[in-house]
Amino acid sequence: MSNVIETHALTRSYGSRRGVMDVELAVAEGEVFGFLGPNGAGKTTTIRLLAGSIRPTSGWARVLGLDTWSQATIVHREMALLPSDPGYLPELTAGEQLEYLCALRGLPRGAWRRLCERLELDPTVRIGKLSRGNRQKVAVVQVFMGRERLLVMDEPTTGLDPLMQREFLSLLAEARADGRSVFLSSHNLPEVERGCDRVAIIREGRIIDVSPVQALLGEHWRSINLVVDAPVPPGTFDLPNVRVLAAGARDLHLMARGDVNPLIRRIAALEVRDIAITTPDIEDVFMRFYDRSEPEAEPAAGSEAAAEPATAPGPVAEPEPGPEHLAAAGEVTR
Amino acid sequence: MIATVFRLELRRSRSLVGWMALLGVAYAGTMSLFYPRMVESNQALQEWLKVFPKELVAAFGMEAGLTDPGTFFNVYIFSMLWPIMAAIVGILLATRPVAADFDRGFLELSLSTRVSRVRYLLASVAMQVVAMVVLAVLTVATILVVGPLIGYPWDAARFSMAALLLVTSGCAIAAVTLLLAVVTLSRATAGGIVAGALVIMYLLHAVAAIEPSLGDLSYLSVFHYLDPVAAIDTGAVPVQGLAVFAVVAVTCWLASLWAFSRRDLLA
Repeated sequence: MSNVIETHALTRSYGSRRGVMDVELAVAEGEVFGFLGPNGAGKTTTIRLLAGSIRPTSGWARVLGLDTWSQATIVHREMALLPSDPGYLPELTAGEQLEYLCALRGLPRGAWRRLCERLELDPTVRIGKLSRGNRQKVAVVQVFMGRERLLVMDEPTTGLDPLMQREFLSLLAEARADGRSVFLSSHNLPEVERGCDRVAIIREGRIIDVSPVQALLGEHWRSINLVVDAPVPPGTFDLPNVRVLAAGARDLHLMARGDVNPLIRRIAALEVRDIAITTPDIEDVFMRFYDRSEPEAEPAAGSEAAAEPATAPGPVAEPEPGPEHLAAAGEVTR
Repeated sequence: MIATVFRLELRRSRSLVGWMALLGVAYAGTMSLFYPRMVESNQALQEWLKVFPKELVAAFGMEAGLTDPGTFFNVYIFSMLWPIMAAIVGILLATRPVAADFDRGFLELSLSTRVSRVRYLLASVAMQVVAMVVLAVLTVATILVVGPLIGYPWDAARFSMAALLLVTSGCAIAAVTLLLAVVTLSRATAGGIVAGALVIMYLLHAVAAIEPSLGDLSYLSVFHYLDPVAAIDTGAVPVQGLAVFAVVAVTCWLASLWAFSRRDLLA
């Protein structure tokens, strides 16, 4: 399988400001590739380099084998871009704006209509009168409306409500089923978890880990709060990947990572009144990679960084769960 | 692709160009209607002008008297109203597709498509030329239309030369602004520099007219070359003005295309 995106020692500096350094990426055809990092880490710079908006200071980036700077116009024939915070023209309606982009991308007239209906976007309303979420729908429609082989998106679901985020994930799955490749920058870990095959984490301009999503998340602790009708027999949760942080008469707080199926089977055997599972959010994952005070340890299982420690230093080992995990913010499912 | 970008530019410009054209037509028409009264009051006007210091009369280019058609239309329209209109339209049109659209995040979106940077900017250049042609032609045409109504059937060929001078001067202003917008990617900086430079050039032109020993300063001013008086009065082709404006416009446009195709889209 060939790579649609390849970068080698890709570096962009902004004088005194940090850009990105020695970025090594390879995204395979048909792959949905997540790109995670906090603000200022270099996600948007990387995307601008891939889109040919800025020139590398050194190194190179290729899309479909073409140099993204010197052959940008040819690259754009096969790439649809959703930039960070795209600014549409407020005097145009959503439909007019999309029609304009259709024309520039060589798409048939009205290629956007089906997606507008699907995302419940009224194309007759002027962009200036659309809410933040509806403007983001315009962005989602424009990136998916074509047939380009590569979709590059910079935080595409910002401002979308949960229903639309779900619809976005459906569109992502359909794009993958069609054999299209996606490079997706995001803050939203559940979105990356559900939509991506692999994920790269960028810190201070450097790629510090490239892993399959499940390998990344599987290494991370989940917090589970249980309320049960009867006291739990001792040893119920004696599993290698489970820690019991607190055990009251009828409530327990557990931490689990990796394969949760054995734990679920044991919970199912109990009379459960309530359960709350806090999945790791982006902060939790970043903590693993960002805690500089900890010595560096081996990368996550399956991490490509393990194979190339020179270019992608491994993450900091995740500590055993403690009470501070109780406060960890994340997606709570009940 | 270029036609698509041009159509959008046209649509986004129609309101600005429309209102400016209305201003040009209304002002040129009004001043044209006023011309016979100027001629009738020539003697009183000459007496009135004597009240002013010679330097002030020279600074406003009124030495030939306001009943001279070339001087009249130059003083009231071509070197007064036109530079203001050309500056407003030139600055707004030339800074919008690059600097303003970059600020709002639209430029990156447009350039992530099949349209190349050069073609994208060429559409903007085309819009600048169209806008200047429309404004200059409508302003001058108004003078030509009103002329017979007031008993002065002006020579269309002579006024056409004046219109050409207006078009090239407006294009030069827009081209310089475009180059600055491409270099700075800042609408405020590019527009501010051009507006400030025009004011300074106006003062230089006035100072050069007032003080003969500083006469060479006028060569640095756009207003020295924007002088259609001889064209209107004698039919002389304003070669110097046309050449200077054309060279400035073409050079700056080419430099803009070159710079835009090579620069980072980064402020």
